[in-house]
Amino acid sequence: MEISRRAFAEQLALMAAAPWFLEDAEPSQQQAQEPSALAKALAESVRLRYPDRFSADDLTAITRSIDSRLRAIERLYQTALTNADEPDFVYSVYRGAD
Amino acid sequence: MDFAFLSVVDLGRLLRQKKASATELATYFLDRLERIGPRYNAVVTVTRERALAEATQADREIRQGKWRGPLHGIPYGVKDLFATKDYPTAWGAEPYRQQKFDIDATVVERLGGAGAVLVAKLAMVELAGGMGYNQANASFTGPGKTPWNTSYWSGGSSSGPGAAVAAGLVPFAIGSETSGSILTPAAYCGVTGLRPTYGLVSRHGAMALAWTMDKLGPLGRSAEDCGIVLQVIAGKDPKDPSSVAPHPLAPSPSRRGGTKWKIGIPKSADKDIQPEVATNFRAALKVLADSIDIVEDVELPDLPYGAVAGLIIAAEGASAFDDLLKDGRLSQLTAPEDRTGGYPALAVSAPDYLRALRVRRPMQRALDDFLKQFDALAVPTRNTVATPIDKPFRDGWPGITGGANVIGPTNVVGVPGVSVPNGFGVQGLPTGLSFAARAFDEAKLVTLARLYQSRTDWHTRRPPID
Repeated sequence: MEISRRAFAEQLALMAAAPWFLEDAEPSQQQAQEPSALAKALAESVRLRYPDRFSADDLTAITRSIDSRLRAIERLYQTALTNADEPDFVYSVYRGAD
Repeated sequence: MDFAFLSVVDLGRLLRQKKASATELATYFLDRLERIGPRYNAVVTVTRERALAEATQADREIRQGKWRGPLHGIPYGVKDLFATKDYPTAWGAEPYRQQKFDIDATVVERLGGAGAVLVAKLAMVELAGGMGYNQANASFTGPGKTPWNTSYWSGGSSSGPGAAVAAGLVPFAIGSETSGSILTPAAYCGVTGLRPTYGLVSRHGAMALAWTMDKLGPLGRSAEDCGIVLQVIAGKDPKDPSSVAPHPLAPSPSRRGGTKWKIGIPKSADKDIQPEVATNFRAALKVLADSIDIVEDVELPDLPYGAVAGLIIAAEGASAFDDLLKDGRLSQLTAPEDRTGGYPALAVSAPDYLRALRVRRPMQRALDDFLKQFDALAVPTRNTVATPIDKPFRDGWPGITGGANVIGPTNVVGVPGVSVPNGFGVQGLPTGLSFAARAFDEAKLVTLARLYQSRTDWHTRRPPID
Protein backbone atom coordinates (compact mmCIF):
# COMPACT_ATOMS: atom_id res chain seq x y z
CA MET A 1 0.00 0.00 0.00
CA GLU A 2 1.31 3.41 -0.96
CA ILE A 3 1.56 5.78 1.94
CA SER A 4 2.70 9.38 1.95
CA ARG A 5 5.38 10.61 4.29
CA ARG A 6 2.83 12.88 5.93
CA ALA A 7 0.27 10.12 6.34
CA PHE A 8 2.93 7.81 7.71
CA ALA A 9 3.97 10.39 10.29
CA GLU A 10 0.32 10.90 11.16
CA GLN A 11 -0.19 7.16 11.62
CA LEU A 12 2.83 6.82 13.82
CA ALA A 13 1.62 9.67 16.00
CA LEU A 14 -1.78 8.06 16.28
CA MET A 15 -0.09 4.79 17.16
CA ALA A 16 1.60 6.54 20.04
CA ALA A 17 -1.72 7.96 21.15
CA ALA A 18 -3.72 4.79 20.79
CA PRO A 19 -1.57 1.88 19.76
CA TRP A 20 -4.47 -0.47 19.14
CA PHE A 21 -5.73 2.00 16.60
CA LEU A 22 -3.55 1.08 13.69
CA GLU A 23 -3.78 -2.34 12.24
CA ASP A 24 -2.30 -0.71 9.16
CA ALA A 25 0.84 0.73 10.67
CA GLU A 26 3.77 0.14 8.40
CA PRO A 27 6.32 -1.72 10.49
CA SER A 28 8.48 -2.51 7.49
CA GLN A 29 8.87 1.17 6.68
CA GLN A 30 9.34 1.92 10.33
CA GLN A 31 12.17 -0.57 10.50
CA ALA A 32 13.69 0.47 7.21
CA GLN A 33 14.14 4.18 7.89
CA GLU A 34 17.32 5.10 9.68
CA PRO A 35 16.50 7.35 12.65
CA SER A 36 17.64 10.93 12.24
CA ALA A 37 20.73 12.30 13.95
CA LEU A 38 18.46 14.44 16.13
CA ALA A 39 16.47 11.38 17.21
CA LYS A 40 19.69 9.58 18.09
CA ALA A 41 20.93 12.57 20.06
CA LEU A 42 17.66 12.90 21.95
CA ALA A 43 17.67 9.18 22.72
CA GLU A 44 21.18 9.57 24.05
CA SER A 45 19.90 12.35 26.34
CA VAL A 46 17.33 9.91 27.72
CA ARG A 47 20.07 7.33 28.25
CA LEU A 48 22.23 9.86 30.06
CA ARG A 49 19.39 10.57 32.49
CA TYR A 50 19.22 6.89 33.39
CA PRO A 51 22.57 5.39 32.34
CA ASP A 52 22.05 1.95 33.89
CA ARG A 53 18.45 1.38 32.93
CA PHE A 54 18.26 0.40 29.27
CA SER A 55 19.36 -2.53 27.15
CA ALA A 56 20.49 -2.04 23.56
CA ASP A 57 17.05 -3.17 22.36
CA ASP A 58 15.37 -0.69 24.69
CA LEU A 59 17.46 2.13 23.28
CA THR A 60 16.66 1.09 19.73
CA ALA A 61 12.94 1.19 20.52
CA ILE A 62 13.25 4.54 22.27
CA THR A 63 15.23 6.01 19.35
CA ARG A 64 12.69 4.84 16.79
CA SER A 65 9.81 6.21 18.85
CA ILE A 66 11.50 9.59 19.18
CA ASP A 67 12.22 9.61 15.45
CA SER A 68 8.58 8.85 14.63
CA ARG A 69 7.37 11.64 16.85
CA LEU A 70 9.82 14.13 15.38
CA ARG A 71 8.46 13.40 11.93
CA ALA A 72 4.88 13.78 13.16
CA ILE A 73 5.75 17.09 14.77
CA GLU A 74 6.70 18.47 11.35
CA ARG A 75 3.00 18.64 10.53
CA LEU A 76 2.27 20.81 13.52
CA TYR A 77 4.42 23.51 11.99
CA GLN A 78 2.58 23.33 8.67
CA THR A 79 -0.56 24.68 10.35
CA ALA A 80 -0.42 28.47 10.16
CA LEU A 81 -0.55 30.22 13.53
CA THR A 82 -0.01 33.81 14.56
CA ASN A 83 1.46 35.26 17.71
CA ALA A 84 -2.12 35.75 18.94
CA ASP A 85 -2.96 32.03 18.73
CA GLU A 86 -2.74 30.89 22.33
CA PRO A 87 -2.66 27.35 23.73
CA ASP A 88 -6.10 25.98 24.49
CA PHE A 89 -5.85 26.40 28.22
CA VAL A 90 -6.52 29.46 30.30
CA TYR A 91 -4.47 30.36 33.33
CA SER A 92 -6.62 31.78 36.12
CA VAL A 93 -5.11 33.96 38.80
CA TYR A 94 -5.91 32.97 42.37
CA ARG A 95 -6.81 35.09 45.37
CA GLY A 96 -7.84 33.27 48.52
CA ALA A 97 -10.21 34.37 51.24
CA ASP A 98 -9.17 37.44 53.29
CA MET B 1 -35.19 -14.52 38.89
CA ASP B 2 -32.61 -13.98 36.13
CA PHE B 3 -31.53 -10.37 36.55
CA ALA B 4 -28.27 -10.63 34.62
CA PHE B 5 -29.27 -9.03 31.34
CA LEU B 6 -32.05 -6.71 32.44
CA SER B 7 -31.66 -3.02 31.69
CA VAL B 8 -31.40 -0.30 34.30
CA VAL B 9 -34.94 0.66 33.37
CA ASP B 10 -36.25 -2.89 33.91
CA LEU B 11 -34.36 -3.37 37.18
CA GLY B 12 -35.67 -0.04 38.45
CA ARG B 13 -39.21 -1.14 37.65
CA LEU B 14 -38.73 -4.36 39.65
CA LEU B 15 -37.43 -2.34 42.61
CA ARG B 16 -40.30 0.14 42.51
CA GLN B 17 -42.84 -2.65 42.24
CA LYS B 18 -41.16 -4.42 45.21
CA LYS B 19 -40.61 -7.50 43.04
CA ALA B 20 -36.91 -7.35 43.92
CA SER B 21 -34.89 -5.66 46.63
CA ALA B 22 -31.63 -3.77 46.24
CA THR B 23 -29.96 -6.33 48.49
CA GLU B 24 -31.24 -9.16 46.31
CA LEU B 25 -29.85 -7.44 43.21
CA ALA B 26 -26.52 -6.67 44.87
CA THR B 27 -26.10 -10.23 46.12
CA TYR B 28 -27.01 -11.61 42.70
CA PHE B 29 -24.43 -9.50 40.85
CA LEU B 30 -21.74 -9.93 43.54
CA ASP B 31 -22.05 -13.70 43.20
CA ARG B 32 -21.90 -13.45 39.44
CA LEU B 33 -18.83 -11.20 39.53
CA GLU B 34 -17.01 -13.70 41.75
CA ARG B 35 -18.15 -16.79 39.84
CA ILE B 36 -17.93 -15.62 36.22
CA GLY B 37 -15.70 -12.53 36.28
CA PRO B 38 -12.40 -14.46 36.32
CA ARG B 39 -13.21 -16.09 32.96
CA TYR B 40 -12.78 -12.73 31.27
CA ASN B 41 -10.10 -11.16 33.50
CA ALA B 42 -12.74 -8.51 34.02
CA VAL B 43 -12.69 -7.89 37.76
CA VAL B 44 -10.07 -6.47 40.09
CA THR B 45 -12.01 -6.12 43.36
CA VAL B 46 -15.49 -7.21 44.33
CA THR B 47 -16.70 -4.57 46.78
CA ARG B 48 -19.02 -6.87 48.73
CA GLU B 49 -19.12 -5.09 52.09
CA ARG B 50 -19.69 -1.66 50.61
CA ALA B 51 -22.28 -3.00 48.17
CA LEU B 52 -24.32 -4.70 50.85
CA ALA B 53 -24.21 -1.60 53.05
CA GLU B 54 -25.34 0.63 50.17
CA ALA B 55 -28.03 -1.85 49.15
CA THR B 56 -29.35 -2.09 52.72
CA GLN B 57 -29.63 1.69 52.83
CA ALA B 58 -31.37 1.75 49.45
CA ASP B 59 -33.89 -0.85 50.60
CA ARG B 60 -34.60 1.13 53.75
CA GLU B 61 -35.14 4.34 51.78
CA ILE B 62 -37.29 2.67 49.15
CA ARG B 63 -39.45 1.11 51.91
CA GLN B 64 -39.86 4.60 53.37
CA GLY B 65 -40.93 5.97 50.02
CA LYS B 66 -37.78 8.06 49.62
CA TRP B 67 -37.09 7.50 45.94
CA ARG B 68 -33.81 8.92 44.65
CA GLY B 69 -34.35 8.29 40.96
CA PRO B 70 -33.79 5.69 38.25
CA LEU B 71 -30.47 4.38 39.62
CA HIS B 72 -31.68 3.89 43.18
CA GLY B 73 -30.73 0.36 44.22
CA ILE B 74 -29.09 -0.48 40.87
CA PRO B 75 -25.67 -2.24 41.06
CA TYR B 76 -22.77 -0.96 38.95
CA GLY B 77 -19.01 -1.26 38.49
CA VAL B 78 -16.25 1.26 37.82
CA LYS B 79 -13.02 0.95 35.90
CA ASP B 80 -10.27 0.60 38.49
CA LEU B 81 -9.01 4.13 37.89
CA PHE B 82 -11.74 5.72 40.01
CA ALA B 83 -10.75 6.38 43.61
CA THR B 84 -12.95 4.69 46.18
CA LYS B 85 -12.66 4.69 49.94
CA ASP B 86 -11.73 1.40 51.58
CA TYR B 87 -10.68 -0.48 48.43
CA PRO B 88 -7.44 -0.35 46.43
CA THR B 89 -7.40 1.63 43.18
CA ALA B 90 -4.68 0.01 41.12
CA TRP B 91 -4.95 1.64 37.67
CA GLY B 92 -4.31 -1.80 36.11
CA ALA B 93 -0.64 -1.42 36.97
CA GLU B 94 1.52 -3.58 39.25
CA PRO B 95 3.31 -0.58 40.85
CA TYR B 96 -0.06 0.70 42.12
CA ARG B 97 -1.57 -2.63 43.14
CA GLN B 98 -1.88 -1.67 46.82
CA GLN B 99 -2.68 2.02 46.22
CA LYS B 100 -5.47 3.44 48.40
CA PHE B 101 -7.28 6.77 48.51
CA ASP B 102 -9.38 8.20 51.30
CA ILE B 103 -11.89 9.77 48.91
CA ASP B 104 -14.49 8.67 46.44
CA ALA B 105 -14.14 10.07 42.93
CA THR B 106 -16.84 12.60 42.08
CA VAL B 107 -18.42 10.10 39.67
CA VAL B 108 -18.68 7.53 42.46
CA GLU B 109 -20.03 10.17 44.85
CA ARG B 110 -22.70 11.21 42.37
CA LEU B 111 -23.75 7.64 41.67
CA GLY B 112 -23.88 6.99 45.40
CA GLY B 113 -25.99 10.11 45.82
CA ALA B 114 -28.40 8.71 43.25
CA GLY B 115 -28.64 5.51 45.30
CA ALA B 116 -26.64 3.27 42.95
CA VAL B 117 -24.75 0.36 44.54
CA LEU B 118 -21.04 -0.11 43.79
CA VAL B 119 -20.35 -3.84 43.39
CA ALA B 120 -16.93 -3.97 41.69
CA LYS B 121 -13.75 -2.26 40.59
CA LEU B 122 -13.22 -3.49 37.05
CA ALA B 123 -10.09 -4.38 35.11
CA MET B 124 -8.31 -2.03 32.74
CA VAL B 125 -5.23 -1.76 30.59
CA GLU B 126 -2.34 -0.57 32.75
CA LEU B 127 -2.26 3.22 33.06
CA ALA B 128 -5.11 3.36 30.52
CA GLY B 129 -2.68 2.46 27.76
CA GLY B 130 -0.59 5.57 28.16
CA MET B 131 2.74 3.80 27.81
CA GLY B 132 2.07 2.52 24.30
CA TYR B 133 0.94 -1.10 24.69
CA ASN B 134 0.55 -3.10 21.50
CA GLN B 135 -1.08 -6.32 22.74
CA ALA B 136 -4.01 -7.44 24.90
CA ASN B 137 -1.84 -8.70 27.74
CA ALA B 138 -1.15 -5.31 29.29
CA SER B 139 -2.57 -5.44 32.80
CA PHE B 140 -1.73 -7.30 35.99
CA THR B 141 -5.15 -8.95 35.66
CA GLY B 142 -4.15 -10.49 32.31
CA PRO B 143 -5.62 -9.89 28.87
CA GLY B 144 -9.24 -8.78 28.88
CA LYS B 145 -11.40 -11.33 27.06
CA THR B 146 -14.64 -10.63 25.26
CA PRO B 147 -17.44 -12.89 26.54
CA TRP B 148 -18.40 -13.63 22.94
CA ASN B 149 -15.21 -15.60 22.32
CA THR B 150 -12.55 -15.74 25.00
CA SER B 151 -9.74 -16.16 22.49
CA TYR B 152 -10.30 -12.53 21.55
CA TRP B 153 -9.73 -9.22 23.28
CA SER B 154 -12.39 -7.26 25.14
CA GLY B 155 -10.88 -4.02 23.89
CA GLY B 156 -9.18 -1.34 25.90
CA SER B 157 -8.48 0.42 27.91
CA SER B 158 -11.88 -0.02 29.63
CA SER B 159 -11.54 -3.78 29.21
CA GLY B 160 -13.31 -4.79 32.42
CA PRO B 161 -16.32 -2.47 32.02
CA GLY B 162 -16.89 -3.77 28.48
CA ALA B 163 -16.63 -7.45 29.38
CA ALA B 164 -18.54 -7.13 32.67
CA VAL B 165 -21.53 -5.45 31.06
CA ALA B 166 -21.50 -7.94 28.16
CA ALA B 167 -21.39 -10.93 30.51
CA GLY B 168 -24.19 -9.65 32.72
CA LEU B 169 -21.89 -9.13 35.71
CA VAL B 170 -23.10 -5.55 36.18
CA PRO B 171 -26.05 -3.68 34.63
CA PHE B 172 -23.78 -0.76 33.76
CA ALA B 173 -20.22 0.41 34.33
CA ILE B 174 -18.19 3.59 34.13
CA GLY B 175 -15.14 3.71 31.89
CA SER B 176 -12.78 6.37 30.60
CA GLU B 177 -11.63 7.39 27.16
CA THR B 178 -8.58 9.37 26.14
CA SER B 179 -8.60 8.07 22.58
CA GLY B 180 -10.98 5.17 22.01
CA SER B 181 -11.10 3.48 25.40
CA ILE B 182 -14.90 3.45 25.82
CA LEU B 183 -16.00 2.99 22.22
CA THR B 184 -13.52 0.20 21.44
CA PRO B 185 -14.53 -2.16 24.29
CA ALA B 186 -18.17 -1.31 23.63
CA ALA B 187 -17.75 -2.51 20.03
CA TYR B 188 -15.62 -5.56 20.87
CA CYS B 189 -17.96 -6.67 23.66
CA GLY B 190 -21.27 -5.91 21.94
CA VAL B 191 -22.52 -3.31 24.41
CA THR B 192 -23.41 0.37 24.23
CA GLY B 193 -20.75 2.94 25.15
CA LEU B 194 -21.16 6.71 25.48
CA ARG B 195 -18.15 9.03 25.45
CA PRO B 196 -19.28 12.43 26.73
CA THR B 197 -17.97 15.83 25.73
CA TYR B 198 -14.70 16.69 27.46
CA GLY B 199 -15.45 18.31 30.81
CA LEU B 200 -19.07 17.22 31.02
CA VAL B 201 -18.15 14.61 33.64
CA SER B 202 -15.82 15.59 36.47
CA ARG B 203 -12.40 13.92 36.45
CA HIS B 204 -11.86 14.49 40.15
CA GLY B 205 -10.61 11.27 41.72
CA ALA B 206 -10.02 9.56 38.38
CA MET B 207 -6.51 8.62 37.27
CA ALA B 208 -5.10 11.20 34.89
CA LEU B 209 -3.44 10.04 31.69
CA ALA B 210 -3.82 13.26 29.69
CA TRP B 211 -5.51 16.06 31.61
CA THR B 212 -6.78 17.81 28.52
CA MET B 213 -8.10 14.70 26.79
CA ASP B 214 -9.49 12.31 29.45
CA LYS B 215 -13.25 11.76 29.37
CA LEU B 216 -15.39 9.55 31.65
CA GLY B 217 -18.59 7.85 30.57
CA PRO B 218 -20.94 4.87 30.83
CA LEU B 219 -21.06 1.47 29.17
CA GLY B 220 -24.44 -0.22 29.40
CA ARG B 221 -27.06 -2.45 27.81
CA SER B 222 -28.65 0.32 25.79
CA ALA B 223 -28.38 3.96 24.81
CA GLU B 224 -31.32 4.67 27.09
CA ASP B 225 -29.43 3.25 30.07
CA CYS B 226 -26.30 5.20 29.15
CA GLY B 227 -28.32 8.39 28.91
CA ILE B 228 -29.81 7.80 32.36
CA VAL B 229 -26.36 7.26 33.86
CA LEU B 230 -24.87 10.29 32.11
CA GLN B 231 -27.60 12.53 33.53
CA VAL B 232 -26.54 11.49 37.02
CA ILE B 233 -22.76 11.86 36.61
CA ALA B 234 -22.63 14.98 34.39
CA GLY B 235 -22.23 18.54 35.57
CA LYS B 236 -19.95 21.17 37.01
CA ASP B 237 -17.75 20.10 39.92
CA PRO B 238 -15.75 22.64 41.91
CA LYS B 239 -13.11 19.94 42.43
CA ASP B 240 -12.42 19.75 38.68
CA PRO B 241 -11.76 23.18 37.14
CA SER B 242 -12.16 21.74 33.63
CA SER B 243 -15.68 20.49 34.35
CA VAL B 244 -18.62 22.26 32.79
CA ALA B 245 -22.39 22.34 33.09
CA PRO B 246 -24.38 20.85 30.21
CA HIS B 247 -24.51 23.33 27.34
CA PRO B 248 -27.78 25.25 27.13
CA LEU B 249 -27.90 24.85 23.37
CA ALA B 250 -27.82 21.07 23.49
CA PRO B 251 -30.99 19.96 21.71
CA SER B 252 -33.59 18.03 23.61
CA PRO B 253 -34.90 14.88 21.97
CA SER B 254 -38.39 16.39 21.74
CA ARG B 255 -37.13 19.03 19.28
CA ARG B 256 -36.71 16.48 16.51
CA GLY B 257 -40.32 16.64 15.39
CA GLY B 258 -40.81 14.87 12.07
CA THR B 259 -37.60 16.04 10.46
CA LYS B 260 -35.05 13.54 9.27
CA TRP B 261 -31.60 13.25 10.79
CA LYS B 262 -28.81 14.43 8.53
CA ILE B 263 -26.02 11.89 8.78
CA GLY B 264 -22.56 12.34 7.28
CA ILE B 265 -20.64 9.24 6.22
CA PRO B 266 -16.89 9.96 6.09
CA LYS B 267 -15.09 9.02 2.92
CA SER B 268 -13.78 5.44 3.00
CA ALA B 269 -15.76 4.66 6.16
CA ASP B 270 -16.48 1.14 4.95
CA LYS B 271 -13.73 0.68 2.38
CA ASP B 272 -11.02 -1.92 2.88
CA ILE B 273 -12.37 -3.02 6.25
CA GLN B 274 -13.54 -6.48 7.29
CA PRO B 275 -16.40 -7.40 4.93
CA GLU B 276 -18.79 -8.30 7.75
CA VAL B 277 -18.12 -4.99 9.48
CA ALA B 278 -18.91 -3.15 6.24
CA THR B 279 -22.04 -5.20 5.62
CA ASN B 280 -23.34 -4.59 9.13
CA PHE B 281 -22.66 -0.87 8.80
CA ARG B 282 -24.69 -0.54 5.61
CA ALA B 283 -27.44 -2.74 7.06
CA ALA B 284 -27.64 -0.44 10.07
CA LEU B 285 -28.05 2.61 7.88
CA LYS B 286 -30.81 0.79 6.01
CA VAL B 287 -32.63 0.17 9.29
CA LEU B 288 -32.68 3.94 9.81
CA ALA B 289 -33.39 4.74 6.15
CA ASP B 290 -36.80 6.35 6.66
CA SER B 291 -35.45 8.59 9.43
CA ILE B 292 -32.13 9.80 8.05
CA ASP B 293 -30.78 11.66 5.06
CA ILE B 294 -27.30 10.40 4.26
CA VAL B 295 -24.52 12.56 2.90
CA GLU B 296 -21.86 10.23 1.53
CA ASP B 297 -18.10 10.72 1.31
CA VAL B 298 -17.79 13.71 3.60
CA GLU B 299 -14.22 14.71 4.39
CA LEU B 300 -13.01 15.92 7.76
CA PRO B 301 -10.85 19.07 7.66
CA ASP B 302 -7.30 18.08 6.75
CA LEU B 303 -5.50 18.79 10.01
CA PRO B 304 -2.81 16.95 12.00
CA TYR B 305 -5.12 15.24 14.50
CA GLY B 306 -2.76 12.34 15.08
CA ALA B 307 0.28 14.50 15.64
CA VAL B 308 -1.58 16.69 18.12
CA ALA B 309 -3.06 13.74 20.00
CA GLY B 310 0.23 11.85 20.05
CA LEU B 311 2.18 14.76 21.41
CA ILE B 312 -0.39 15.78 24.02
CA ILE B 313 -0.85 12.26 25.37
CA ALA B 314 2.90 11.62 25.38
CA ALA B 315 3.78 14.85 27.18
CA GLU B 316 0.89 14.87 29.64
CA GLY B 317 1.22 11.14 30.29
CA ALA B 318 4.95 11.41 30.96
CA SER B 319 4.26 14.22 33.41
CA ALA B 320 1.32 12.45 35.07
CA PHE B 321 3.52 9.41 35.69
CA ASP B 322 6.85 11.17 36.16
CA ASP B 323 7.35 9.32 39.46
CA LEU B 324 7.29 5.98 37.62
CA LEU B 325 9.76 7.23 35.04
CA LYS B 326 12.05 8.72 37.64
CA ASP B 327 12.29 5.74 39.97
CA GLY B 328 12.19 3.11 37.24
CA ARG B 329 9.01 1.35 38.35
CA LEU B 330 7.82 1.34 34.74
CA SER B 331 9.86 -1.88 34.59
CA GLN B 332 7.16 -3.54 36.74
CA LEU B 333 4.45 -3.09 34.09
CA THR B 334 3.04 -6.19 32.42
CA ALA B 335 3.52 -5.46 28.72
CA PRO B 336 7.22 -5.34 27.79
CA GLU B 337 6.64 -2.38 25.44
CA ASP B 338 5.07 -0.41 28.31
CA ARG B 339 8.29 -0.71 30.31
CA THR B 340 10.09 1.63 27.92
CA GLY B 341 7.11 3.34 26.28
CA GLY B 342 7.13 6.40 28.52
CA TYR B 343 10.77 7.38 28.05
CA PRO B 344 10.61 8.78 24.51
CA ALA B 345 8.27 11.48 25.83
CA LEU B 346 11.19 12.86 27.85
CA ALA B 347 12.48 14.13 24.50
CA VAL B 348 9.34 16.14 23.75
CA SER B 349 10.19 19.83 23.91
CA ALA B 350 7.98 22.31 25.73
CA PRO B 351 7.55 24.48 22.61
CA ASP B 352 6.41 21.43 20.62
CA TYR B 353 3.85 20.50 23.29
CA LEU B 354 2.59 24.08 23.36
CA ARG B 355 2.47 24.11 19.58
CA ALA B 356 0.13 21.11 19.74
CA LEU B 357 -2.10 22.94 22.21
CA ARG B 358 -2.10 26.03 19.98
CA VAL B 359 -2.95 24.03 16.86
CA ARG B 360 -5.82 22.41 18.74
CA ARG B 361 -7.69 25.74 18.93
CA PRO B 362 -8.19 26.23 15.15
CA MET B 363 -8.68 22.45 14.95
CA GLN B 364 -11.64 22.69 17.34
CA ARG B 365 -13.22 25.46 15.32
CA ALA B 366 -12.67 23.70 12.00
CA LEU B 367 -14.13 20.44 13.25
CA ASP B 368 -17.10 22.20 14.83
CA ASP B 369 -17.79 24.04 11.57
CA PHE B 370 -17.61 20.69 9.83
CA LEU B 371 -19.81 18.83 12.33
CA LYS B 372 -22.49 21.52 12.41
CA GLN B 373 -23.45 20.54 8.85
CA PHE B 374 -24.82 17.26 10.19
CA ASP B 375 -26.77 15.89 13.11
CA ALA B 376 -24.07 13.25 13.41
CA LEU B 377 -21.33 11.37 11.61
CA ALA B 378 -21.77 7.61 11.30
CA VAL B 379 -18.92 5.10 11.00
CA PRO B 380 -18.16 1.50 11.92
CA THR B 381 -16.71 1.86 15.42
CA ARG B 382 -13.72 -0.32 14.48
CA ASN B 383 -12.64 -1.62 11.10
CA THR B 384 -12.45 -5.20 12.39
CA VAL B 385 -13.95 -7.33 15.12
CA ALA B 386 -11.88 -7.88 18.26
CA THR B 387 -8.25 -8.89 17.81
CA PRO B 388 -6.88 -12.22 19.11
CA ILE B 389 -5.47 -12.05 22.63
CA ASP B 390 -2.29 -13.91 21.70
CA LYS B 391 -0.99 -11.64 18.94
CA PRO B 392 0.30 -8.08 18.67
CA PHE B 393 -2.51 -5.84 17.45
CA ARG B 394 -0.84 -5.26 14.08
CA ASP B 395 -0.83 -9.02 13.42
CA GLY B 396 -4.42 -9.57 14.56
CA TRP B 397 -6.16 -8.99 11.27
CA PRO B 398 -3.37 -8.50 8.73
CA GLY B 399 -4.27 -6.73 5.53
CA ILE B 400 -7.19 -4.78 6.97
CA THR B 401 -6.02 -1.22 6.47
CA GLY B 402 -9.11 0.81 5.65
CA GLY B 403 -11.87 2.75 7.30
CA ALA B 404 -12.22 6.35 8.38
CA ASN B 405 -10.46 7.63 11.45
CA VAL B 406 -13.13 9.42 13.47
CA ILE B 407 -12.20 8.22 16.97
CA GLY B 408 -8.88 10.10 16.83
CA PRO B 409 -10.05 13.54 15.64
CA THR B 410 -13.17 13.58 17.82
CA ASN B 411 -11.11 12.69 20.88
CA VAL B 412 -8.51 15.37 20.23
CA VAL B 413 -11.15 18.10 20.21
CA GLY B 414 -13.27 16.44 22.91
CA VAL B 415 -16.64 16.00 21.21
CA PRO B 416 -19.00 13.14 22.13
CA GLY B 417 -19.55 9.75 20.53
CA VAL B 418 -21.66 6.67 21.06
CA SER B 419 -21.18 3.07 19.93
CA VAL B 420 -24.00 0.54 19.66
CA PRO B 421 -23.83 -3.13 18.66
CA ASN B 422 -25.00 -3.68 15.08
CA GLY B 423 -24.38 -7.35 14.34
CA PHE B 424 -21.71 -10.02 14.32
CA GLY B 425 -18.66 -10.75 12.23
CA VAL B 426 -16.09 -13.51 12.04
CA GLN B 427 -15.65 -15.87 15.00
CA GLY B 428 -19.05 -14.84 16.34
CA LEU B 429 -17.64 -11.51 17.44
CA PRO B 430 -19.77 -8.36 17.65
CA THR B 431 -19.40 -5.27 15.50
CA GLY B 432 -20.20 -1.66 16.41
CA LEU B 433 -21.86 1.35 14.83
CA SER B 434 -20.72 4.77 16.03
CA PHE B 435 -22.22 8.22 15.87
CA ALA B 436 -20.23 11.36 16.68
CA ALA B 437 -21.57 14.89 17.00
CA ARG B 438 -20.80 18.44 18.08
CA ALA B 439 -19.80 19.25 21.63
CA PHE B 440 -22.66 18.84 24.13
CA ASP B 441 -24.89 17.03 21.65
CA GLU B 442 -25.15 13.94 23.86
CA ALA B 443 -28.96 14.15 23.89
CA LYS B 444 -28.96 13.99 20.12
CA LEU B 445 -26.60 10.99 20.08
CA VAL B 446 -28.59 9.10 22.70
CA THR B 447 -31.83 9.77 20.84
CA LEU B 448 -30.37 8.59 17.55
CA ALA B 449 -28.90 5.48 19.16
CA ARG B 450 -32.21 4.75 20.90
CA LEU B 451 -34.01 5.05 17.58
CA TYR B 452 -31.66 2.43 16.13
CA GLN B 453 -32.07 0.15 19.14
CA SER B 454 -35.87 0.48 19.00
CA ARG B 455 -35.69 -1.18 15.58
CA THR B 456 -33.04 -3.84 16.25
CA ASP B 457 -32.28 -6.41 18.91
CA TRP B 458 -28.48 -6.62 18.69
CA HIS B 459 -28.16 -4.93 22.08
CA THR B 460 -30.31 -7.62 23.70
CA ARG B 461 -28.23 -10.58 22.46
CA ARG B 462 -26.40 -12.60 25.11
CA PRO B 463 -22.97 -14.19 24.82
CA PRO B 464 -22.64 -17.93 25.46
CA ILE B 465 -21.89 -17.88 29.19
CA ASP B 466 -23.72 -20.62 31.08
